[in-house]
Amino acid sequence: METWKAFEANELTHSAAHHLLAIHDVGLAYGGWARVSDIARRLDITRGSVSVNLRPLKKRGWIETDEHHMVKLSARGLKAAQAVMAKRVVVRAFLSEVLDTPGPQADIDSCKIEHLISDETGRRLARFTRLLTSDDPAAKAFLARFRSSHGECPDNRTCDVCKGRCLADELQRAI
Amino acid sequence: MSGVSTEIVDDLNRLMAEEIEAFLRYFQMRFRLRGQNRQAAEAFFEQSLKETLEHAEGLASRINSLGHAPTLHIRLSLSGDAMRPDEALAEAADVEQQALDAYTEFLPRVAGDPVLEPFVRKQIEIEAEHVQSIRDTIRTTTPLSLVQKRAAAADRKP
Repeated sequence: METWKAFEANELTHSAAHHLLAIHDVGLAYGGWARVSDIARRLDITRGSVSVNLRPLKKRGWIETDEHHMVKLSARGLKAAQAVMAKRVVVRAFLSEVLDTPGPQADIDSCKIEHLISDETGRRLARFTRLLTSDDPAAKAFLARFRSSHGECPDNRTCDVCKGRCLADELQRAI
Repeated sequence: MSGVSTEIVDDLNRLMAEEIEAFLRYFQMRFRLRGQNRQAAEAFFEQSLKETLEHAEGLASRINSLGHAPTLHIRLSLSGDAMRPDEALAEAADVEQQALDAYTEFLPRVAGDPVLEPFVRKQIEIEAEHVQSIRDTIRTTTPLSLVQKRAAAADRKP
């Protein structure tokens, strides 16, 4: 399948990921059970929207509901939520501690990416981040070198990354 | 009514948002219906959107009479995918159930208020009827009977 089609077919949408995390967080104090009203407040949407958004999650077996309309993550849902949370932490650490992205931007970007990358990429990113932020002298030197560089592009505006057109210029124009 | 707290007004605004959002949802759902019983379901949603708008207006009027202007905060994005009437009704049942739960949870907070308590009680009665009629319809898969029931319920409104 082409990548963009696979992206569209991703069963864990951004909205679904946020609902799973909200159920998880709200339910922490109540043995995993969350009220729709609390989920709605957490996500700043109506409870009607929450109930509609929960339908596909229930169909996929990620959540359970009881006769009082309380919601809980199933074992599968909990696994999915934990994977998203782990990837958010990893991506945030990479953005903030390696790329030196300012905290608020790292929060926003990690939130956007968390559910899109595979668990395998998440694991590799964790490994990479751990190495680069470790006490290993080579890693320390590399990180220091990266932080002190200003990423000046060569005069001919091309390099091994850009391969013919200056991506830095394009990103600058896009701002 | 000056004794009514801003939290109560906030709750009324939230209830109004539920109703307005349901209105928009039903408005759009009518055009997504495909398959058997489509026309009957369309009629159901036409009736429902009128009722949800009436409910929203009722809430806005209450907020106004408390000396506030209603504030509306909704975030809604609806896909244009086709929907079977039974799917649409199941979704409507969930939305109505949430409205019922919201009014039910709100009731203790207005207990003793001569205006708000009867108003909320009436809304609970209407919403409970809606939920029941939708669930009955889903069970029997005859949307036409739902429209008749709902029309009858609407006639009984004050």
